[in-house]
Amino acid sequence: MERGNTLLDDYVLGLARRRGSTERPRVCFLPTASGDADHYIVRFYRAFSPELCEPSHLSLFRRECAVGDVREHLLTRDLIYVGGGSVVSLLGAWRAHGLDLVLREAWERGVVLCGLSAGSLCWFAEAVTAFHGPPQPVAGLGLLPWSNCVHFGAEPARCAGYRRLLTEGMRPGYAAEDGAALHFEGERLVRVVASRPGARAHRMRWTGKRVSRRPLATTYLGEAEAGSAPDPPAAGRLSVVAA
Amino acid sequence: MGGGGFSAPPGDPALDLYVLQVARKPHPRICLLPTAGGDAEDQIRRFYSAFRHLPCEPTHVSLFRLGSDRVDLREVLLCQDVLYVGGGSLLNLLAVWRAHGADRLLREAWEEGIVLCGISAGSMCWFEAGLTTSFGEPRPVRALGFLRGSNSVHHDSEGERRPCYHQAIRSESVPPGYAVDDGAGLLFAGTELVEAVSARRGAGAYWVEEVDGEALETPLQMVALPEREELEPPTPLSIAELREARAARLSRGDARRGHR
Repeated sequence: MERGNTLLDDYVLGLARRRGSTERPRVCFLPTASGDADHYIVRFYRAFSPELCEPSHLSLFRRECAVGDVREHLLTRDLIYVGGGSVVSLLGAWRAHGLDLVLREAWERGVVLCGLSAGSLCWFAEAVTAFHGPPQPVAGLGLLPWSNCVHFGAEPARCAGYRRLLTEGMRPGYAAEDGAALHFEGERLVRVVASRPGARAHRMRWTGKRVSRRPLATTYLGEAEAGSAPDPPAAGRLSVVAA
Repeated sequence: MGGGGFSAPPGDPALDLYVLQVARKPHPRICLLPTAGGDAEDQIRRFYSAFRHLPCEPTHVSLFRLGSDRVDLREVLLCQDVLYVGGGSLLNLLAVWRAHGADRLLREAWEEGIVLCGISAGSMCWFEAGLTTSFGEPRPVRALGFLRGSNSVHHDSEGERRPCYHQAIRSESVPPGYAVDDGAGLLFAGTELVEAVSARRGAGAYWVEEVDGEALETPLQMVALPEREELEPPTPLSIAELREARAARLSRGDARRGHR
């Protein structure tokens, strides 16, 4: 849902089409981390229009526009897209509604899970949040047994915070710059893709002496238009795309 | 407050003034926590349009969306004179606060004498239990428990809440407590009820308890606040003048300090 850039949306829709074996996959947007912000929901419906998919959203704040059976709805989607905002608020609200358990169930059934910013952090065992005050560790859903840091490079305090947390015992993980997305199957990273040339993701870990940052090979999705279309990996079970 | 107030047009200006009066300061710092509504922009906008013209310093804290500011939650909350919790989902409010540790900060604020207030979900949250409609039908939920008893809101305006509250009281799934109409409010000092106030004709508050298997409502004695028509238009004008005079005085004070 980047402005003027549909490359990552196209990528996750490609995974959803394969998963659902349909041209119009069922896609549900979870705007919880933004407090179900109206403008964000509008943006989702613009980006994931009915020509491309069968879009829906699930609001936890304004129940009057909620879908009936939340669990049933989520388990029957091909793609669940989690929007950005505060990951702490996101996890708090999800747990109160039991969505943490439903999302794990959806993942185990092979529904493609994706999200950006807070919607990326939430899938990992540990994440770096910088919402109020200095960067803090937060425990996510733990589908992926790694740590995660987003907006890497764009927010110096967050990068420094991630490095500090790694030295203090945070588990190894992945840092993603804006525009870069990590694609996991199961717990395994299968690919890094990017909507902007030069956007990178990095493998981060504490070696015992220093923090190692290893840049990961990244496929720029824009090259697809030039003819050499990168074949999206088969969306097997347990796909998470974290941007 | 059982409902109404700044967040529901046309508003209850008397309740806004009452809240500021309870702070017992000439120019209190008042902070909106719009968490229960997911930091909804219209609630935030209505808060500022109600309080901007009153003698106070309004601000708000978002737990969902943040501009470029990184604020220290503890610092911002504990420097206020009034913390005003907006309406929305009681269940989400409590869950998000707990996730941020705001529940502990609010207890600290309360113990330091900061005025805590709120509307709807922002009222029920202070009691031992309230009713949430987050799952559709109203359902009891455990709240912060600073105040003893339970609380139900919109008693006169949302028909499905009353039977649900009565049922919860009868079955003792919530302790006895207070049902409050839109436009009415309860003032507590510490944990003691001081008075029940009403900014609308007929708006009431009730003590509800189980007696011989039935939910019994006992109306509370209401103190009438000036109604909307009685406040407008002179009050906003005089307050605007007061505010200007105070701003002028403050800026002179700043200038003096600056020259030292």
